Amino acid sequence: MYGYHGRILEVDLTDGRVEAKPLDPSLVRDYLGGRGLATRLFYDAVDPACDPLGPDNVVVLATSPLVGTSAPTSCRGHMVFKSPLSGLIGTSNSGGTWAHAFKATGHDVLVIRGRSSEPVTLDIRPGGARLLPAGDLWGKDIHETTDALTEGAEPGNPYKVLCIGPAGENLVRIATVANDRNRVYGRCGPGAVFGSKKLKAVRVSGREKIEIGDRDLFRSGLDQAVYLMKQAPVTKRLMREMGTAGLVELINLIGMLPHRNFQDCRHRDEDVDRVSGETLARTFLERAGGCYLCPIGCQRHTSVPGRGGPDEKGEGPEYETTVLMGPVCDIYDLAAVTRANYRCNELGIDTISYGGTVACAMEMFETGLITPEETGGMDLSFGRADSLEALVRMTARREGIGDRLAEGSWRLAAACGSPGHSMSVKKLEIPGYDPRASFTQALGYMTSPTGACHLRGGYAVSLAFFGGTKEIPRYSLLQSPIAIRNMQNIGILQDSLGVCRFTGYAFATEPWARMVRGATGGDFSVAKLEEIANRVACLERLFNIEAGATAEDDDLPARFSDLPIVVEGKERRLAPEDKDRMRRDYYGIRRWDADGRPTREALDALNIRRRGR
Amino acid sequence: MSAGKWTADEELLKTFRAVGRASLLVDIQDSHSGNMAVRWADAAGEERIVITATGSQKGELDRSQICFLSPAETDYGYYKASSETDVHARILSLPGVRASMHAHVKEIVIATLDDRPKPAAPPPFVPVDPLGWYHLGGSVPVDWFAVPSGSPEMARTIPERLAANVLTLIWGHGAMARGRTLPEAFFRLCVANNSGAIVRQMEALGVDVAALRARAMAGPGAVFSHAPADYAAYDDARNDFPEEEEIVAEFAKAGHRVFESRLSPFHTGSMSVRGVEAMLYAPKASMPRDIGGPLLKVPLAPGPADDPETALHKAIYAGSDFQTVLHCYVPEAEAQAHFVYPGDPAPADRIVPVDAEGGFQYLVIPVVPPGADAATLVRLLHEYKVVVVRGGGVWAVGAQSLSEVLHHPSSVREICLYRAGAFARGLDLRKMEPERARRW
Repeated sequence: MYGYHGRILEVDLTDGRVEAKPLDPSLVRDYLGGRGLATRLFYDAVDPACDPLGPDNVVVLATSPLVGTSAPTSCRGHMVFKSPLSGLIGTSNSGGTWAHAFKATGHDVLVIRGRSSEPVTLDIRPGGARLLPAGDLWGKDIHETTDALTEGAEPGNPYKVLCIGPAGENLVRIATVANDRNRVYGRCGPGAVFGSKKLKAVRVSGREKIEIGDRDLFRSGLDQAVYLMKQAPVTKRLMREMGTAGLVELINLIGMLPHRNFQDCRHRDEDVDRVSGETLARTFLERAGGCYLCPIGCQRHTSVPGRGGPDEKGEGPEYETTVLMGPVCDIYDLAAVTRANYRCNELGIDTISYGGTVACAMEMFETGLITPEETGGMDLSFGRADSLEALVRMTARREGIGDRLAEGSWRLAAACGSPGHSMSVKKLEIPGYDPRASFTQALGYMTSPTGACHLRGGYAVSLAFFGGTKEIPRYSLLQSPIAIRNMQNIGILQDSLGVCRFTGYAFATEPWARMVRGATGGDFSVAKLEEIANRVACLERLFNIEAGATAEDDDLPARFSDLPIVVEGKERRLAPEDKDRMRRDYYGIRRWDADGRPTREALDALNIRRRGR
Repeated sequence: MSAGKWTADEELLKTFRAVGRASLLVDIQDSHSGNMAVRWADAAGEERIVITATGSQKGELDRSQICFLSPAETDYGYYKASSETDVHARILSLPGVRASMHAHVKEIVIATLDDRPKPAAPPPFVPVDPLGWYHLGGSVPVDWFAVPSGSPEMARTIPERLAANVLTLIWGHGAMARGRTLPEAFFRLCVANNSGAIVRQMEALGVDVAALRARAMAGPGAVFSHAPADYAAYDDARNDFPEEEEIVAEFAKAGHRVFESRLSPFHTGSMSVRGVEAMLYAPKASMPRDIGGPLLKVPLAPGPADDPETALHKAIYAGSDFQTVLHCYVPEAEAQAHFVYPGDPAPADRIVPVDAEGGFQYLVIPVVPPGADAATLVRLLHEYKVVVVRGGGVWAVGAQSLSEVLHHPSSVREICLYRAGAFARGLDLRKMEPERARRW
């Protein structure tokens, strides 16, 4: 099996059993790798009714057949688990070097079950793996843990570390798992799942290589991909020079930059300038960086003035962090946002969900639903930049009001009797694009399997504003369902190929199809990849239905229907009937029934085997 | 005729202006050549001939250059009207004919030039492309005239020709076409010019046009893909989805570009955007500004009344996740699809770009024979996004937008132009083609 090692490493933390199993070639044929393969293995392994923070939850981390090749950006791993935030499927994707290094141990997939009685580190080498006590690491942050575990590697074969910080240990529902210190599996709370299993880290080291099936074919796809990436402004220059935060000005220009917990999209231009990618590049940016095999280079290596001490160095902020911790909290202080980003990186918290949760708390504080007594006297009003960094620490350690923020915005708001204050879908906080400014984006948030995610929901904003020839009308009820289905499917393929979303600015599926055909020698035509994407989407939906999701969960907060924003002089909102139509049509195009359940016809057509059948 | 009648209403003026501008855009007139005429009933029901003024600049017609004449007698309107008025008047008297147009369709005129001594009876022009073959009737008469402009000889001969044909050629001068509407006459002129362009490009590429003509005459099914639907003359203003204003605008933008970039002759080709149960369908993809085409809402489910074009759109959607489809008749692609490499027995099954941009955007453009089935087309569209059907136009697909799908035939046209240019300069295309393209 070219492109794969053909091995799954299964670890049961309850009894300490570690076992390598063969990878079923039929799974590869039907689910490819990464997100697709992980989803299938997860679906087969987990009870959808399980407690996400209990021992029965299973984490599946899969690489793709391109990981281990020279395909651009092919360094990414994909993690699937039951989310402690949504109670539905949780999927998260990260670059860095860990996934590549894991594959070099001779395994394609890591499956983690059970729960250890004591903190442990999983140490994986070619030919074996073992569990090491990690009591001395428990309580350490991600940078400290990474530093401790990377010591002692043999020259030329460094250890790569995947780990959680205190937030994960403390079962913070918005906790991350990180590799390379600052590259995170961020959304849906995977850190809390690791924490619940007492799994502090996974350390890998290896030099196993995969064989390429057809080098010439692989090369032809690679050459075309590289050419197109050198041609496209976003991949050749923009990301390196401004990072994703370069979008701040553009998204504001098109009336889509959210403000004050999504109450409106109105900002003073000079305020937006203060948190823009251009300002970041002029002030705190030290250098750009990239993940392994990435020519794009969106990483922001920055430093901010220390408060009474030396400058602080770290990574970030990216667009989502800037917007969710910034304008969504009515904060336009780039230094404060950057410092809070550093703390999130260290302590292991998802910056999107954190910003969304803080904004929710700020609005409830201003409306009296959260009292000064509950905050310990802290002023949680909108615009209080000084609270951002402190609240990260309190959240990670579940101290004071931080204990409630650690539950995410929906549980925080629901506990105050006002879940409508949570700007979330399926309890996952909405990223930095206001859905009222693009129906396609709105539908993406609504139908994303993980909740409001701009990546799993389909990166629709590009379709409206900087998608080149792919741009479609912003408010088309007719085009949005198919447009977002296709964007979601491209995302599924990118996640299943182990490559970066941003390559999509340069090209779509065709070069990848040639590369993956060349790498595997298998029949991965574009049509086949399209079919795989539809299969994965359907299986994710099936799990969610079995976990209790209904069509009612595919909805936006009422704010987006009740409270219009003004875009280009026109009031825009998501009327309930428009949402209903788009959702119905989306179900139709996915071949799901009126309740959003995959039909037998769809399951048969996609050759999806249901649980227990 | 009273002065009050010498005024075109807005609709009439708009049509004349739009067709006039469009004819200049596709270069079938010089600045002042050609003429257009229609039979028109005024408010009282009185029939008039409405015709462009002689010497009028067709790109900038104003009201005073639209002349109203009596069809029954000579009146003062003839002072200003086109020098071809007599020809038009007789054409407009043919049953069912409501419009006629004369244009300098240079491509087909050049394709029918010969150097034999005159007077002589030139042979008819036989199109080798599906639009020309099916819309012009397989054979277009060509007549040589001693006085080839406005002469009594023309006024006698041309209406006779147009009684049996939809378009006729005036050797060394241009063509005259009839129609039920002015756009239909314009359509036929555009198709004829396109047929001439394809023949000329084939000749430049060394294609054996005579053999191709012989095969077409023996049985067009072996040379051409499906027959295009008959021209629909009266439904251009139909819009089945006015509530989708943004999409309507996208159709208009794409249609203008198809026309202005000469990706398909006027009112040919088709494009669609897929919905869940229906597709939004423009059966006349090539639409100049101010001359729209129908925008139809068509169920995605196959229907017994589907013409082959509509059926193929549906088949592509049924077999894929694509959201947009465009079919157009790119003349350069049609010619290139018949190119035979020196020493090869048959045309190639691919067009290989020899230019830098095309080479990395596409590497190859597959070419399939006219009988290729829908499944083959869908499979190739998945892999290549654009396919040339020999004798059947260019099919392209997009995952999202009309703009996305429009780019493919536009790129194919450029790719073909570079190849044709290189070949004309005597360069060896095989040597220029990237090695990797041979493996695809």
